[in-house]
Amino acid sequence: MTGDVTALASGGCHIFSGCGFPAPGLQDFEWKPLFTIGSFGFTKPMLLAIIAALVVIVFFWAAFRKPQLVPRGVQNLGEMAILGVRDQILRPSLGRKGDSYLPFLVSLFFFIYIMNVMELIPIFQFPVTSRIGFVWPLVFIVYFLYLYLGFKNQGAWGYLRNMIPPGVPAPIYIILVPVELLRFFVFQPFTLGVRLFGNMFAGHLLLTIFTIATWYLLSLSIGLVYAAGSFALAIFVFVLETLVTLLQAFIFTTLTATYIASSLEASH
Amino acid sequence: MSGQDNGASVELSRRTAAAEGRARGLNVGWTVFSYLLSGMAAYGIIGWLVGRAVHVPVLFPIGMLVGLAISIGFVIYRYGRQEAANAAQAQRTSTKGDDR
Repeated sequence: MTGDVTALASGGCHIFSGCGFPAPGLQDFEWKPLFTIGSFGFTKPMLLAIIAALVVIVFFWAAFRKPQLVPRGVQNLGEMAILGVRDQILRPSLGRKGDSYLPFLVSLFFFIYIMNVMELIPIFQFPVTSRIGFVWPLVFIVYFLYLYLGFKNQGAWGYLRNMIPPGVPAPIYIILVPVELLRFFVFQPFTLGVRLFGNMFAGHLLLTIFTIATWYLLSLSIGLVYAAGSFALAIFVFVLETLVTLLQAFIFTTLTATYIASSLEASH
Repeated sequence: MSGQDNGASVELSRRTAAAEGRARGLNVGWTVFSYLLSGMAAYGIIGWLVGRAVHVPVLFPIGMLVGLAISIGFVIYRYGRQEAANAAQAQRTSTKGDDR
Protein backbone atom coordinates (compact mmCIF):
# COMPACT_ATOMS: atom_id res chain seq x y z
CA MET A 1 0.00 0.00 0.00
CA THR A 2 1.25 3.48 -0.67
CA GLY A 3 0.28 4.27 2.87
CA ASP A 4 -2.11 7.16 2.15
CA VAL A 5 -5.23 5.25 3.20
CA THR A 6 -3.53 3.50 6.10
CA ALA A 7 -2.07 6.79 7.34
CA LEU A 8 -5.49 8.44 7.20
CA ALA A 9 -7.15 5.56 8.98
CA SER A 10 -4.51 5.18 11.66
CA GLY A 11 -4.15 8.93 12.17
CA GLY A 12 -7.30 9.28 14.23
CA CYS A 13 -9.66 9.34 11.27
CA HIS A 14 -12.78 7.81 12.84
CA ILE A 15 -16.51 8.00 12.26
CA PHE A 16 -18.21 11.12 13.73
CA SER A 17 -14.88 12.95 13.86
CA GLY A 18 -15.68 14.92 10.73
CA CYS A 19 -13.45 12.71 8.66
CA GLY A 20 -14.79 10.80 5.64
CA PHE A 21 -14.15 7.07 5.18
CA PRO A 22 -10.69 6.68 3.62
CA ALA A 23 -11.94 4.19 1.04
CA PRO A 24 -9.31 1.84 -0.38
CA GLY A 25 -8.98 1.74 -4.15
CA LEU A 26 -6.51 1.32 -6.97
CA GLN A 27 -3.99 3.46 -5.11
CA ASP A 28 -3.57 0.56 -2.67
CA PHE A 29 -2.05 -1.52 -5.44
CA GLU A 30 0.51 1.12 -6.44
CA TRP A 31 3.81 0.96 -4.61
CA LYS A 32 6.58 3.47 -4.21
CA PRO A 33 9.93 1.93 -5.15
CA LEU A 34 11.98 0.51 -2.28
CA PHE A 35 15.04 1.60 -4.25
CA THR A 36 15.82 2.60 -7.80
CA ILE A 37 18.50 1.58 -10.27
CA GLY A 38 18.52 4.25 -12.95
CA SER A 39 14.92 4.53 -14.13
CA PHE A 40 14.03 1.08 -12.77
CA GLY A 41 12.14 1.15 -9.49
CA PHE A 42 12.27 -2.00 -7.33
CA THR A 43 8.92 -2.30 -5.55
CA LYS A 44 7.50 -4.44 -2.75
CA PRO A 45 5.56 -6.83 -5.09
CA MET A 46 8.85 -7.56 -6.91
CA LEU A 47 10.53 -8.35 -3.60
CA LEU A 48 7.61 -10.62 -2.63
CA ALA A 49 7.80 -12.45 -5.98
CA ILE A 50 11.51 -13.12 -5.40
CA ILE A 51 10.80 -14.30 -1.85
CA ALA A 52 8.05 -16.61 -3.19
CA ALA A 53 10.47 -18.12 -5.73
CA LEU A 54 13.13 -18.55 -3.03
CA VAL A 55 10.64 -20.22 -0.66
CA VAL A 56 9.73 -22.79 -3.35
CA ILE A 57 13.38 -23.42 -4.30
CA VAL A 58 14.66 -23.68 -0.72
CA PHE A 59 11.74 -25.86 0.44
CA PHE A 60 12.13 -28.47 -2.31
CA TRP A 61 15.92 -28.31 -2.11
CA ALA A 62 15.74 -28.97 1.65
CA ALA A 63 13.19 -31.74 1.14
CA PHE A 64 15.11 -33.67 -1.53
CA ARG A 65 18.72 -32.72 -0.84
CA LYS A 66 19.39 -36.11 0.74
CA PRO A 67 16.31 -38.20 0.06
CA GLN A 68 15.77 -41.19 2.31
CA LEU A 69 13.88 -44.35 1.43
CA VAL A 70 11.71 -43.83 4.51
CA PRO A 71 10.93 -40.10 4.38
CA ARG A 72 11.21 -37.99 7.53
CA GLY A 73 10.68 -34.36 8.45
CA VAL A 74 10.66 -31.90 5.56
CA GLN A 75 11.01 -34.73 3.00
CA ASN A 76 7.64 -35.99 4.20
CA LEU A 77 6.09 -32.60 3.53
CA GLY A 78 7.81 -32.36 0.14
CA GLU A 79 6.54 -35.78 -0.90
CA MET A 80 3.02 -34.92 0.25
CA ALA A 81 3.16 -31.70 -1.78
CA ILE A 82 4.36 -33.48 -4.90
CA LEU A 83 1.90 -36.37 -4.56
CA GLY A 84 -0.91 -33.85 -4.01
CA VAL A 85 -0.14 -32.09 -7.29
CA ARG A 86 0.39 -35.42 -9.08
CA ASP A 87 -2.86 -37.04 -7.93
CA GLN A 88 -5.15 -34.01 -7.90
CA ILE A 89 -3.86 -32.02 -10.87
CA LEU A 90 -1.54 -33.94 -13.19
CA ARG A 91 -2.89 -37.50 -13.34
CA PRO A 92 -6.59 -36.56 -13.79
CA SER A 93 -5.71 -34.59 -16.94
CA LEU A 94 -2.57 -36.20 -18.33
CA GLY A 95 -2.57 -39.70 -16.86
CA ARG A 96 0.69 -41.54 -16.18
CA LYS A 97 2.22 -40.46 -19.48
CA GLY A 98 2.28 -36.88 -18.21
CA ASP A 99 4.54 -37.59 -15.21
CA SER A 100 7.46 -35.88 -16.95
CA TYR A 101 5.59 -32.57 -16.56
CA LEU A 102 5.34 -33.00 -12.78
CA PRO A 103 8.34 -30.75 -11.90
CA PHE A 104 6.90 -27.95 -14.04
CA LEU A 105 3.40 -28.23 -12.56
CA VAL A 106 4.68 -28.52 -8.97
CA SER A 107 6.85 -25.40 -9.41
CA LEU A 108 4.00 -23.51 -11.07
CA PHE A 109 1.45 -24.48 -8.42
CA PHE A 110 3.61 -23.62 -5.42
CA PHE A 111 5.01 -20.44 -6.92
CA ILE A 112 1.49 -19.13 -7.58
CA TYR A 113 0.25 -20.36 -4.21
CA ILE A 114 3.05 -18.66 -2.26
CA MET A 115 2.57 -15.43 -4.24
CA ASN A 116 -1.17 -15.57 -3.45
CA VAL A 117 -0.78 -16.46 0.20
CA MET A 118 1.49 -13.45 0.77
CA GLU A 119 -1.82 -11.61 1.14
CA LEU A 120 -2.50 -13.31 4.46
CA ILE A 121 0.97 -13.19 6.02
CA PRO A 122 1.58 -10.23 8.35
CA ILE A 123 4.32 -7.83 7.15
CA PHE A 124 3.93 -9.04 3.51
CA GLN A 125 0.16 -8.44 3.37
CA PHE A 126 -0.06 -8.22 -0.40
CA PRO A 127 -0.90 -10.86 -3.02
CA VAL A 128 1.69 -10.50 -5.76
CA THR A 129 -0.74 -11.85 -8.37
CA SER A 130 -3.09 -8.92 -7.75
CA ARG A 131 -0.67 -7.00 -10.00
CA ILE A 132 -1.48 -8.32 -13.45
CA GLY A 133 2.09 -7.75 -14.66
CA PHE A 134 3.16 -10.75 -12.55
CA VAL A 135 0.46 -12.97 -14.06
CA TRP A 136 1.12 -12.40 -17.79
CA PRO A 137 4.63 -13.95 -17.75
CA LEU A 138 3.15 -17.11 -16.20
CA VAL A 139 0.42 -17.18 -18.87
CA PHE A 140 3.09 -16.62 -21.53
CA ILE A 141 5.19 -19.55 -20.24
CA VAL A 142 2.15 -21.84 -20.15
CA TYR A 143 1.02 -20.78 -23.63
CA PHE A 144 4.47 -21.10 -25.11
CA LEU A 145 4.68 -24.67 -23.78
CA TYR A 146 1.11 -25.37 -24.98
CA LEU A 147 1.89 -24.24 -28.54
CA TYR A 148 5.34 -25.81 -28.64
CA LEU A 149 4.02 -29.23 -27.55
CA GLY A 150 1.09 -28.96 -29.94
CA PHE A 151 3.25 -28.13 -32.95
CA LYS A 152 5.82 -30.74 -31.95
CA ASN A 153 3.31 -33.57 -31.52
CA GLN A 154 0.80 -32.79 -34.25
CA GLY A 155 2.70 -30.58 -36.67
CA ALA A 156 1.76 -26.93 -37.28
CA TRP A 157 -0.98 -27.64 -39.84
CA GLY A 158 -2.34 -30.67 -37.98
CA TYR A 159 -2.48 -28.70 -34.76
CA LEU A 160 -4.38 -25.80 -36.32
CA ARG A 161 -6.71 -28.22 -38.14
CA ASN A 162 -7.43 -30.12 -34.93
CA MET A 163 -8.58 -26.95 -33.17
CA ILE A 164 -12.03 -27.71 -34.59
CA PRO A 165 -13.19 -31.19 -33.61
CA PRO A 166 -13.67 -33.74 -36.41
CA GLY A 167 -17.11 -34.41 -37.83
CA VAL A 168 -18.12 -30.76 -38.18
CA PRO A 169 -19.78 -30.06 -41.59
CA ALA A 170 -17.60 -28.03 -44.03
CA PRO A 171 -19.71 -24.79 -44.10
CA ILE A 172 -19.78 -24.71 -40.29
CA TYR A 173 -16.05 -25.33 -40.29
CA ILE A 174 -15.52 -22.05 -42.19
CA ILE A 175 -17.89 -20.17 -39.87
CA LEU A 176 -16.01 -21.47 -36.83
CA VAL A 177 -12.48 -20.55 -37.98
CA PRO A 178 -12.55 -16.91 -36.74
CA VAL A 179 -14.19 -17.97 -33.46
CA GLU A 180 -11.62 -20.71 -32.83
CA LEU A 181 -8.64 -18.53 -33.75
CA LEU A 182 -9.78 -15.76 -31.42
CA ARG A 183 -10.60 -18.20 -28.64
CA PHE A 184 -7.30 -19.99 -28.91
CA PHE A 185 -4.95 -17.03 -29.29
CA VAL A 186 -6.77 -14.30 -27.36
CA PHE A 187 -9.57 -15.31 -25.01
CA GLN A 188 -8.23 -18.57 -23.58
CA PRO A 189 -4.94 -16.99 -22.39
CA PHE A 190 -6.84 -13.84 -21.42
CA THR A 191 -9.27 -15.72 -19.16
CA LEU A 192 -6.43 -17.81 -17.73
CA GLY A 193 -4.59 -14.69 -16.58
CA VAL A 194 -7.48 -12.41 -15.69
CA ARG A 195 -9.19 -15.02 -13.49
CA LEU A 196 -6.16 -15.34 -11.24
CA PHE A 197 -5.53 -11.61 -11.18
CA GLY A 198 -9.20 -10.67 -10.67
CA ASN A 199 -9.77 -13.05 -7.77
CA MET A 200 -6.66 -11.95 -5.91
CA PHE A 201 -7.30 -8.27 -6.66
CA ALA A 202 -10.90 -8.44 -5.42
CA GLY A 203 -9.96 -10.48 -2.35
CA HIS A 204 -7.26 -8.05 -1.31
CA LEU A 205 -9.57 -5.09 -1.85
CA LEU A 206 -12.31 -6.68 0.28
CA LEU A 207 -9.87 -7.49 3.04
CA THR A 208 -8.51 -3.92 2.99
CA ILE A 209 -12.00 -2.39 2.98
CA PHE A 210 -13.20 -4.34 6.03
CA THR A 211 -9.94 -3.93 7.96
CA ILE A 212 -9.84 -0.15 7.44
CA ALA A 213 -13.60 0.11 8.05
CA THR A 214 -13.15 -1.67 11.40
CA TRP A 215 -10.59 0.93 12.45
CA TYR A 216 -12.59 3.83 10.99
CA LEU A 217 -15.82 2.80 12.73
CA LEU A 218 -14.13 2.24 16.07
CA SER A 219 -15.38 4.91 18.48
CA LEU A 220 -17.27 5.17 21.74
CA SER A 221 -20.62 5.36 19.99
CA ILE A 222 -22.91 3.20 17.90
CA GLY A 223 -19.90 2.98 15.60
CA LEU A 224 -18.53 0.32 17.95
CA VAL A 225 -21.33 -2.06 16.86
CA TYR A 226 -20.58 -1.32 13.18
CA ALA A 227 -16.87 -1.88 13.87
CA ALA A 228 -17.65 -5.28 15.41
CA GLY A 229 -19.69 -6.19 12.31
CA SER A 230 -16.91 -5.03 10.03
CA PHE A 231 -14.33 -6.97 12.05
CA ALA A 232 -16.44 -10.14 11.77
CA LEU A 233 -16.60 -9.62 8.01
CA ALA A 234 -12.83 -9.05 7.86
CA ILE A 235 -12.31 -12.39 9.64
CA PHE A 236 -14.79 -14.06 7.28
CA VAL A 237 -13.01 -12.67 4.21
CA PHE A 238 -9.66 -13.71 5.67
CA VAL A 239 -10.88 -17.31 6.06
CA LEU A 240 -12.40 -17.17 2.56
CA GLU A 241 -9.10 -15.91 1.15
CA THR A 242 -7.19 -18.82 2.68
CA LEU A 243 -9.33 -21.01 0.42
CA VAL A 244 -9.24 -18.66 -2.60
CA THR A 245 -5.42 -18.46 -2.59
CA LEU A 246 -5.22 -22.25 -2.80
CA LEU A 247 -8.12 -22.59 -5.22
CA GLN A 248 -6.73 -20.07 -7.70
CA ALA A 249 -3.33 -21.79 -7.76
CA PHE A 250 -5.18 -25.10 -8.23
CA ILE A 251 -7.34 -23.79 -11.10
CA PHE A 252 -4.40 -22.21 -12.92
CA THR A 253 -2.31 -25.38 -12.66
CA THR A 254 -5.22 -27.71 -13.52
CA LEU A 255 -6.01 -25.70 -16.66
CA THR A 256 -2.31 -25.77 -17.56
CA ALA A 257 -2.38 -29.57 -17.24
CA THR A 258 -5.48 -29.83 -19.44
CA TYR A 259 -3.85 -27.55 -22.04
CA ILE A 260 -0.75 -29.75 -22.08
CA ALA A 261 -2.97 -32.82 -22.40
CA SER A 262 -4.79 -31.28 -25.37
CA SER A 263 -1.45 -30.49 -27.03
CA LEU A 264 -0.30 -34.08 -26.67
CA GLU A 265 -3.50 -35.55 -28.10
CA ALA A 266 -5.00 -34.83 -31.51
CA SER A 267 -8.57 -34.10 -30.40
CA HIS A 268 -9.00 -31.03 -28.17
CA MET B 1 -7.26 -57.82 4.97
CA SER B 2 -8.42 -58.36 1.41
CA GLY B 3 -11.66 -56.56 2.22
CA GLN B 4 -9.64 -53.61 3.55
CA ASP B 5 -7.50 -53.61 0.38
CA ASN B 6 -10.64 -53.72 -1.70
CA GLY B 7 -12.13 -50.81 0.27
CA ALA B 8 -8.95 -48.75 -0.15
CA SER B 9 -8.89 -49.50 -3.87
CA VAL B 10 -12.55 -48.47 -4.25
CA GLU B 11 -11.83 -45.26 -2.31
CA LEU B 12 -8.80 -44.54 -4.51
CA SER B 13 -10.74 -45.06 -7.73
CA ARG B 14 -13.57 -42.88 -6.37
CA ARG B 15 -11.09 -40.10 -5.61
CA THR B 16 -9.45 -40.46 -9.01
CA ALA B 17 -12.83 -40.24 -10.73
CA ALA B 18 -13.72 -37.16 -8.66
CA ALA B 19 -10.39 -35.47 -9.56
CA GLU B 20 -10.88 -36.31 -13.25
CA GLY B 21 -14.40 -34.89 -13.12
CA ARG B 22 -13.11 -31.71 -11.46
CA ALA B 23 -10.37 -31.20 -14.07
CA ARG B 24 -12.78 -31.88 -16.91
CA GLY B 25 -15.45 -29.59 -15.46
CA LEU B 26 -12.95 -26.75 -15.06
CA ASN B 27 -11.68 -27.17 -18.60
CA VAL B 28 -15.14 -27.37 -20.19
CA GLY B 29 -16.48 -24.46 -18.14
CA TRP B 30 -13.71 -22.07 -19.09
CA THR B 31 -13.61 -23.26 -22.71
CA VAL B 32 -17.34 -22.56 -23.05
CA PHE B 33 -16.83 -19.11 -21.53
CA SER B 34 -14.00 -18.43 -24.00
CA TYR B 35 -16.22 -19.58 -26.90
CA LEU B 36 -18.98 -17.19 -25.94
CA LEU B 37 -16.58 -14.26 -25.71
CA SER B 38 -14.66 -15.11 -28.88
CA GLY B 39 -17.85 -15.68 -30.92
CA MET B 40 -19.13 -12.24 -30.00
CA ALA B 41 -15.73 -10.62 -30.57
CA ALA B 42 -14.96 -12.37 -33.89
CA TYR B 43 -18.29 -11.64 -35.57
CA GLY B 44 -18.52 -8.27 -33.82
CA ILE B 45 -15.24 -7.26 -35.47
CA ILE B 46 -16.37 -8.65 -38.85
CA GLY B 47 -19.72 -6.83 -38.48
CA TRP B 48 -17.95 -3.61 -37.51
CA LEU B 49 -15.57 -3.81 -40.48
CA VAL B 50 -18.37 -4.57 -42.96
CA GLY B 51 -20.56 -1.91 -41.34
CA ARG B 52 -17.78 0.63 -41.72
CA ALA B 53 -17.29 -0.27 -45.37
CA VAL B 54 -20.99 -0.07 -46.31
CA HIS B 55 -21.87 2.69 -43.79
CA VAL B 56 -24.35 0.55 -41.83
CA PRO B 57 -23.24 0.85 -38.16
CA VAL B 58 -25.95 -1.53 -36.95
CA LEU B 59 -23.98 -4.44 -38.45
CA PHE B 60 -21.65 -4.25 -35.44
CA PRO B 61 -24.23 -5.28 -32.79
CA ILE B 62 -25.86 -7.66 -35.30
CA GLY B 63 -22.45 -9.31 -35.81
CA MET B 64 -22.03 -9.69 -32.06
CA LEU B 65 -25.42 -11.35 -31.72
CA VAL B 66 -24.73 -13.64 -34.69
CA GLY B 67 -21.36 -14.55 -33.14
CA LEU B 68 -23.02 -15.29 -29.82
CA ALA B 69 -25.60 -17.49 -31.58
CA ILE B 70 -22.83 -19.35 -33.45
CA SER B 71 -20.92 -19.90 -30.19
CA ILE B 72 -23.98 -21.17 -28.34
CA GLY B 73 -24.84 -23.48 -31.24
CA PHE B 74 -21.32 -24.86 -31.37
CA VAL B 75 -21.14 -25.32 -27.59
CA ILE B 76 -24.42 -27.29 -27.71
CA TYR B 77 -23.07 -29.36 -30.61
CA ARG B 78 -19.65 -30.00 -29.07
CA TYR B 79 -20.49 -30.47 -25.41
CA GLY B 80 -24.04 -31.71 -25.84
CA ARG B 81 -24.64 -33.91 -28.87
CA GLN B 82 -21.07 -34.92 -29.65
CA GLU B 83 -20.25 -35.72 -26.01
CA ALA B 84 -23.45 -37.77 -25.68
CA ALA B 85 -22.58 -39.64 -28.90
CA ASN B 86 -19.02 -40.29 -27.65
CA ALA B 87 -20.32 -41.50 -24.28
CA ALA B 88 -22.79 -43.86 -25.99
CA GLN B 89 -19.98 -45.15 -28.24
CA ALA B 90 -17.73 -45.74 -25.21
CA GLN B 91 -20.56 -47.56 -23.44
CA ARG B 92 -21.15 -49.82 -26.47
CA THR B 93 -17.44 -50.61 -26.71
CA SER B 94 -17.15 -51.45 -23.01
CA THR B 95 -20.27 -53.68 -23.13
CA LYS B 96 -18.83 -55.53 -26.15
CA GLY B 97 -15.66 -56.26 -24.26
CA ASP B 98 -17.57 -57.49 -21.20
CA ASP B 99 -18.00 -61.26 -21.49
CA ARG B 100 -19.82 -61.91 -18.22
